[in-house]
Amino acid sequence: MDLIGQWLGYPAPLDRILSIIGIELHWIILQYVLGLPLFIILSLLLYARRRDEKWNEMARTMTKALGIIFAVGAASGTLSEFGLVLIWPNLLEAAGRYIFFPLYAEIFAFLIEITFIYFLVFGWKKIGVRGRLILAFLALIGAWLSGALIMSVNSYMVAPTGIQASYDPMSGWKYDKGYPKVLLVVPKEIVSVLDVNKLLSLGMEVLGERNEGVAVLLPSKIVSKLASESWSNVRVGDSVLSLVIKEEALGSVKDLLVKDIVDKILTNTVKSVGYTMVTFLSPVYAGSILHALGAAITVTGFTIFGGYSLLLLRSRSDKKKVYYVSGMKLGIFLGLIFIAVQGLVFGHIIGTEIASYNPEKLAAMEGTSKGIFSFSRSLGIERIMSFIAYGSFEAKLPDYDSIPQDYCTLAGAALDCRPPLMLHYLYYFKTGLSVLLGLYALISAILVMRGSLSPALLKINILTPIVAHIISFLGWAVREMGRKPWSIYGIMTVDVAHTANPGDPLSYGLIALIVISVALALILAVWKLLYVPSVREV
Amino acid sequence: MIPQVYFIALVFGIHIVAVNLGIALSTIIPLLKRKADLTRNERLDGIAKGIFRIYAAIYGIAGVMGTAFTVFLLSFYPEFIGIAGNITLLPFGIAILSILVHFLAIVLYYYGWDSFPRWAHLSSGILLAITAYTIPLGFRLVFAFLNTPAGLKIDGKPYIDAFEALANPTFAPLYLKSIFGAITFGSLFISALSAYRIARERSEESSQIYSTSLRIAVIGTFIMLILGPWYSMSLISTPMKFNNIFRSFGWGLGGVETVDMSWLFLIKIILIAVQIYAILRLMFGNVNFKLSALATTSAAFTILTGEYLNMFSQYPYFLANLPIVADKIPEPWRTVLGRALYLENVSPLANDPTLLSITALGIAILLAAIGYFIYETLIKEE
Repeated sequence: MDLIGQWLGYPAPLDRILSIIGIELHWIILQYVLGLPLFIILSLLLYARRRDEKWNEMARTMTKALGIIFAVGAASGTLSEFGLVLIWPNLLEAAGRYIFFPLYAEIFAFLIEITFIYFLVFGWKKIGVRGRLILAFLALIGAWLSGALIMSVNSYMVAPTGIQASYDPMSGWKYDKGYPKVLLVVPKEIVSVLDVNKLLSLGMEVLGERNEGVAVLLPSKIVSKLASESWSNVRVGDSVLSLVIKEEALGSVKDLLVKDIVDKILTNTVKSVGYTMVTFLSPVYAGSILHALGAAITVTGFTIFGGYSLLLLRSRSDKKKVYYVSGMKLGIFLGLIFIAVQGLVFGHIIGTEIASYNPEKLAAMEGTSKGIFSFSRSLGIERIMSFIAYGSFEAKLPDYDSIPQDYCTLAGAALDCRPPLMLHYLYYFKTGLSVLLGLYALISAILVMRGSLSPALLKINILTPIVAHIISFLGWAVREMGRKPWSIYGIMTVDVAHTANPGDPLSYGLIALIVISVALALILAVWKLLYVPSVREV
Repeated sequence: MIPQVYFIALVFGIHIVAVNLGIALSTIIPLLKRKADLTRNERLDGIAKGIFRIYAAIYGIAGVMGTAFTVFLLSFYPEFIGIAGNITLLPFGIAILSILVHFLAIVLYYYGWDSFPRWAHLSSGILLAITAYTIPLGFRLVFAFLNTPAGLKIDGKPYIDAFEALANPTFAPLYLKSIFGAITFGSLFISALSAYRIARERSEESSQIYSTSLRIAVIGTFIMLILGPWYSMSLISTPMKFNNIFRSFGWGLGGVETVDMSWLFLIKIILIAVQIYAILRLMFGNVNFKLSALATTSAAFTILTGEYLNMFSQYPYFLANLPIVADKIPEPWRTVLGRALYLENVSPLANDPTLLSITALGIAILLAAIGYFIYETLIKEE
């Protein structure tokens, strides 16, 4: 099977690749904005407790780094924000209309971040350790609040609040019953013109009255068709809606835009849940935010570990060596703790959430297709995996080959609705790499404690931040690529989210080249301006 | 006018004044640094670096307010963002990439001040200056489009013909007016800064910077006296906007008129007069910090009122010529664009009074934080 061809076969491949480049650049930076405040607080606490100047110096160095990184993150955030508007304008319009609150509130979280990070940077010499601790704590609150708000929007895209998945681990796929289904609260004036019996025969389930409307579960293939018609400016008379509108009512509504009807239903649905809460109630939110924060702290920990290993390798001053070893200890212990927690706790939480709410993605992750070589099948761990995912050895992993290619669309099989199977290799590569890094961290922690720091070990340590970044990237790749062909699972596919006027390959190539060049130039600048002077000092 | 427009206007106003100052400082700082390098003048080098620190703070303020502006637009007017995103890849693309490269240039220029080879530092300075002009190039193309939609085609879907968009009658005067307005304001800002330094400790470098920046401000003001009327005349292509500004003075074009903004135009003229008065007195008098500050403040408010005049005079439309071009737009786009480009069509979920109250409180805190930030970075250390 042509795995890359399958992934490229979904709509807008170049736009997706460009988005990956832009957002990954932003994520690389954000991990430090999320992680560094915690390490600064820990260093300051150690300084407050032991009065050992090296912890204060370490906190100061990390604060300087945070100041630079935050500024770069603000610029890459602007790039990502505008990039999303230009490449996925219809998705952004939908987000701005129905799940805008976290994006709106994020501006105030951003304000908290910028205020306290720069007060910490510029006010360092003017305040005592308690003041620094308070500022660092507030900077942490701002950064984590910002992350929590943005992750809620992303979680909603992965599993919208009220989504009913298409899989039962005991009985199998439920596509024949119209699943996956989306929760909608249809206003009563719209219900009055709909032929409810026809909708029931198409798989709609009525849940009862709520917020001046009727709560229903509507098959996602109908919802995605309505989303597609909404952003194509189709009128009701030319829409699938005309098939489920009472004959006597059709005359009065046929000239309305489908978008107006859909807007009324979605607005009422969001109101019934609460517009401030709708994204936070996504069933995958808890696992998502924990896993994202865990990844950020892990990457930051290994970066500190790798950075101080590099300095120790070059150092000739005994006093400095003690300082660098302390930095290595701080980095490796937190790195080790968090990579373990990520795998055993946070990863498990998000894994079970995905199993329950994105079963197609789990099928691709576990490679349950007979068309590919599957690690879980070859290793004979399928039952263990189903126990981990569903808490029962009797449960079955979802079978990829049984997913109908057209389950997401009413238009037939023009769009492959199944997630890309390359996910299996990305996921297992990520998991394998995580286990290796975790084991290496355990061995390193023991060796650091014993003081056995050979140059060869220090050289390998320098590679650990890169490995941690690769794992983090692969995690996001599984999450985002695994949602394809959906942009918002069960509601909007990528072809609907996509711009009507995409750029040509040459201009996209040029943009990608500029973005990558800027990233490389920044890395070079950090190397020249932060690392080289440090080495001169040692 | 609806409250959402005031929120947007507030953050946009602060953003645009900061951006204008940034354009000028991005030009002047590399020139000062180059002069310091060539003459091996360490004091001048120190002054240039001090001004660059101010620019870094200004850039931060512009960035925060710019982000707030786009988030408010997305939340209050998602349909407008949807339409804009679909058709403005080229102008916004130019602006975004320029922002990214400009930021890189700031980092390289600041951190490479004493550590880069001279040619490398100069190169990053040139990059800093060039991108300061390409950022507004993209944004002003969009602003000109929002005056009159030159280049808009609808062939099953809306798109923009880039060459026709560049020939928009309001684009060239709007862009040039922005650039020269920014340089004038920035020069006055530097002259005020130098006057302050001179008042504390007279130095040859500060005196030279003061007189040179004042001369540039005089030339800039003179050019603005030509560009301002040019832009006003170009607004004949957007009669509603022209009428809203000038009809009360008896210069109406006939046709649509929505809000009388002549009072704001009058305020702008008074501010220009104050600016000219202060500059003339400075030219023919001694170094005077208070007068320099007056000239700078009036220039800043001239920019602010100019932007507000441009913005409010097309109320209640995002696209000033919408009432004129609507008939030529085929359905269903006429309906879709008609409401997406209508400023009173706020997204229903974002029309919550509690949300607006909390936003007002948040903005107040944001402004207080910026005030403190300015005090810490610009006043306290200077």
